[in-house]
Amino acid sequence: MAEERLATRTQFPASAELQKPRLKKAPDFPILEKQNWLIHLHYIRKDYEACKAVIKEQLQETQGLCEYAIYVQALIFRLEGNIQESLELFQTCAVLSPQCADNLKQVARSLFLLGKHKAAIEVYNEAAKLNQKDWEICHNLGVCYIYLKQFNKAQDQLHNALHLNRHDLTYIMLGKIHLLEGDLDKAIEIYEKAVEFSPENTELLTTLGLLYLQLGIYQKAFEHLGNALTYDPTNYKAILATGSMMQTHEDFDVALTKYRVVACAVPESPPLWNNIGMCFFGKKKYVAAISCLKRANYLAPFDWKILYNLGLVHLTMQQYASAFHFLSAAINFQPKMGELYMLLAVALTNLEDTENAKRAYAEAVRLDKCNPLVNLNYAVLLYNQGEKRGALAQYQEMEKKVSLLKDSSSLEFDSEMVEMAQKLGAALQVGEALVWTKPVKDPKSKQRTMSTRKSASFQQPLGSNQALGQAMSSAAAYRKLPSGVEGPSQLTKPPSLPLEPEPAVEASPTKTSEQIREK
Amino acid sequence: MAAASSSDSDSGRAESSEANSKWLDAHYDPVANIHTFSACLVLADLHGDGEHKLVVGDLGPGGQQPRLKVLKGPAVLTESPLPALPAAAATFLMEHHEPQAPALALASGPCVYVYKNLRPYFKFSLPQLPPNPLEQDLWHQAKEDRIDPLTLKEMLESIREKAEVPLSVQSLRFLQLELSEMEAFVNQHKSKSIKRQTVITTMTTLKKNLADEDAVSCLVLGSENKELLVLDPEAFTILAKMSLPSIPVFLEASGQFDVEFRLAAACRNGNIYILRRDSKHPKYCIELSAQPVGLVRVHKVLVVGSTEDSLHGFTHKGKKLWTVHMPAAILTMNLLEQRSRGLQAVMAGLANGEVRIYRDKALLNVIRAPDAVTSLCFGRYGREENTLIMTTRGGGLIIKILKRTAVFVEGGGEMGPPPAQATKLNVPRKTRLYVDQTLREREAGTAMHRAFQTDLYLLRLRTARAYVQALESSLSPMSMTAREPLKLHAVVQGLGPTFKLTLHLQNPSTARPALGLLICFLYNEALYALPRAFFKVPLLVPGLNYPLETFVESLSNKGISDIIKVLVLREGQSAPLLSAHINMPVSEGLAAA
Repeated sequence: MAEERLATRTQFPASAELQKPRLKKAPDFPILEKQNWLIHLHYIRKDYEACKAVIKEQLQETQGLCEYAIYVQALIFRLEGNIQESLELFQTCAVLSPQCADNLKQVARSLFLLGKHKAAIEVYNEAAKLNQKDWEICHNLGVCYIYLKQFNKAQDQLHNALHLNRHDLTYIMLGKIHLLEGDLDKAIEIYEKAVEFSPENTELLTTLGLLYLQLGIYQKAFEHLGNALTYDPTNYKAILATGSMMQTHEDFDVALTKYRVVACAVPESPPLWNNIGMCFFGKKKYVAAISCLKRANYLAPFDWKILYNLGLVHLTMQQYASAFHFLSAAINFQPKMGELYMLLAVALTNLEDTENAKRAYAEAVRLDKCNPLVNLNYAVLLYNQGEKRGALAQYQEMEKKVSLLKDSSSLEFDSEMVEMAQKLGAALQVGEALVWTKPVKDPKSKQRTMSTRKSASFQQPLGSNQALGQAMSSAAAYRKLPSGVEGPSQLTKPPSLPLEPEPAVEASPTKTSEQIREK
Repeated sequence: MAAASSSDSDSGRAESSEANSKWLDAHYDPVANIHTFSACLVLADLHGDGEHKLVVGDLGPGGQQPRLKVLKGPAVLTESPLPALPAAAATFLMEHHEPQAPALALASGPCVYVYKNLRPYFKFSLPQLPPNPLEQDLWHQAKEDRIDPLTLKEMLESIREKAEVPLSVQSLRFLQLELSEMEAFVNQHKSKSIKRQTVITTMTTLKKNLADEDAVSCLVLGSENKELLVLDPEAFTILAKMSLPSIPVFLEASGQFDVEFRLAAACRNGNIYILRRDSKHPKYCIELSAQPVGLVRVHKVLVVGSTEDSLHGFTHKGKKLWTVHMPAAILTMNLLEQRSRGLQAVMAGLANGEVRIYRDKALLNVIRAPDAVTSLCFGRYGREENTLIMTTRGGGLIIKILKRTAVFVEGGGEMGPPPAQATKLNVPRKTRLYVDQTLREREAGTAMHRAFQTDLYLLRLRTARAYVQALESSLSPMSMTAREPLKLHAVVQGLGPTFKLTLHLQNPSTARPALGLLICFLYNEALYALPRAFFKVPLLVPGLNYPLETFVESLSNKGISDIIKVLVLREGQSAPLLSAHINMPVSEGLAAA
């Protein structure tokens, strides 16, 4: 500490020596705080050049004793990214007035920004001794604990902060802890409270909307996202999420209009181009759809969902060879999804590679637990290959899944699928009879085109209560989650508390895309 | 007025003519040399003749030449130098006599200078702060030479660390001195009594006992030692003293001092404190998460601008009502009051040169100034009722007059969907060739797929063959023959034309050192130059990593790169032990040149 004082002193030896010998009579000392108000006014106007000039003048006049000048200089250093220098200056301030909690708070904050969370916690605790009732200290302590992964302590501190004074930021951090712990319900509870407290905070509204979306509570999700958009019509996270909801309702034109805003704000967002692509797909503009999806794929080459959609569109376009490549790429990134294997099998069937198609179906059946379409398609293939016994087994498997689904949800089945299933059922029961040889041929030829379309139509996560008729929208719906997921990972950081840990909210499939985004 | 018309066309281009027509451009002087804050701008009828003047507490360029300027119309009427930088200016009625001419108060340093009829009338100085008794005692002892400088220093040091009352400047200075200078300092200063003086940071006025427009007002001062003072308008005695938890930056007063009043003080710790008549301490506290840049009261709503580029509305009890986001940083704020229509609104000068006018959260009007507006003031100027005075960052002065027919309506600013919604999506186009290829794929998809699969298998087969061959002819970077195990790993550094090539050679065997090895580079001499293409390797101790460095000069300026082969040989054997192919990067140094 003595060194520091020395250092500040030696900075202005010239003026000190000039003054002393000349004045015989004791001079009046200038008031140290003389220009503090001016420094502050320049600082809050963000006129840092003028501010620095006044600070320099003031420090020269007071020989480095003006605490506030040093304080603001340190703040400016920090804004300019010179955190180490700012830390040193704040420490000087703390020496000049050791009783001031503000200086300690700033020292701790600089330590925090330097990533020294433990040291920051110590200094914050010091500061807390001087000022018991400061929400900021509690809040920042909480944030430090989050980084140290001590969630319980963090929660305590954040609740303390809320108790002292309620701030949006504290709610956000508290919500993040719950998300990090994977407790969606608690997180929603916190965000609900936060929205009640500050109903116009778009960030809170958007996050809450996305959480509801994740839980499949579409009504509430739409409500909150809509509110966010009323307050900030250019909030791209909310737009992407509402857009994907519109897509599930086949409201493609409205969704596309909304996406234009996002395209202006974040033209390089992969989920945006994916969603736009699926909008065009829904409108049956396949070439445009492929263009957009390829752009999305270019922007995020490791995102299996985009590859999945590309595969789907190419299947529809009867470009089976291309579809095969996209789907196999998607499987490389996401090897645990039955539907992907099923689509691959459809592509292979159309490429007349029945052996591999069967293997792919087998894998799909092994992985998939609830999608009857997988079994139906497999059964059709087996039937066409003349393996009636296998087909029958798959058919029965499908019936099981259907009855399960009927019990658990009010999902309506695609009419085309139902029709196909009935035909197949009929064919299998009277398969031995020669009379049926002819009709058998019919579904066989039909199956090629149909299975592609059908397979597409069930890509939606089952269990959602949406009545989805069409393939395209469901594929978009699939994409819905990730598009929402992009949100939290790209949060603009509130200036006073940057670098919150990203919430690892999502289940494994969405996580992959999240990680990619961060690279 | 030529400049005025140019600014008119400038703003006319940027916004709708309907909104633009609200203002008349009266005056624009880009080099008026006025550098000030909104707090130092006052419009007042200083001479009581019905002609309102503009009083500017000017900081001067770079805050060097503080001046008091009085403007009448576009011209400066009087100009007088000030002893220190003005922190705030205000006009107030001192007594109820006719003719009524308001006095002008200018806060500067620790004093308030009061002018009447533009002549100096009174100087009020803030009272001295009580010094720390212990400190006083110490200096007293020093005066009587009962204490030596070193002890004095230690004692003062201990006071500084613990005491509630901070030390005086004299003691603080003393504590910074070297041992040799202390004696002289004590001798020079010991006879002086120690003083603690504070500074005025902000000032406003508060009606004394009547709510009328022409009623007597008190001055309210905010000081650096976290206090608010209310001064008697006639005797300049302190009527009330209130303490705050932080240093006030902006003040807003309402009500009457003798009846009931509310003071709102935006402070440096980012909080706004609200005080009432019978409380010595803040009654309510608004915590912003950023610094306030302006505080304006519109009817009963406190409007605060924050450094987070937003305006917030609060009730007088501190409840948040609304938030509006600004497109740029707020520089200054002030109240717009159009008495004839009973309109009160907030003006905010932004860093992008706009002045935005809000009634609550509804945007009423946007004025685009040629430069960032740093201070704003609205009121009666000359004989014109509704005049807007703006000064800019570069020292310019803009005067605009609100048209008498102008009515502010909500939605005068931006509304409806964001403009980006109208732009077309940039969907990538597909060529004719692409469509043709698509058709071909539909027709011959199976054949393409099969051809692809066959080729893929062929490729894999060839790769496997090449790999086996490489293993057989020691072309790999690992030599795992029982006698000579060796590992080679190469790194290229640099952007070119000169690259640094580092070969990391390792002998992974457990005991046997490797002796008599040679390294040879094979490369295209037209493209690269190496100082030594062939050299001996030192003895390789097992387990250690030997970095062998060499420089590679790229000779081609066509941005082409080639492969450099590294062969590790044993003396007397023609077949290499191992080899590596280094893909050299393209020389960026030349590509740029």
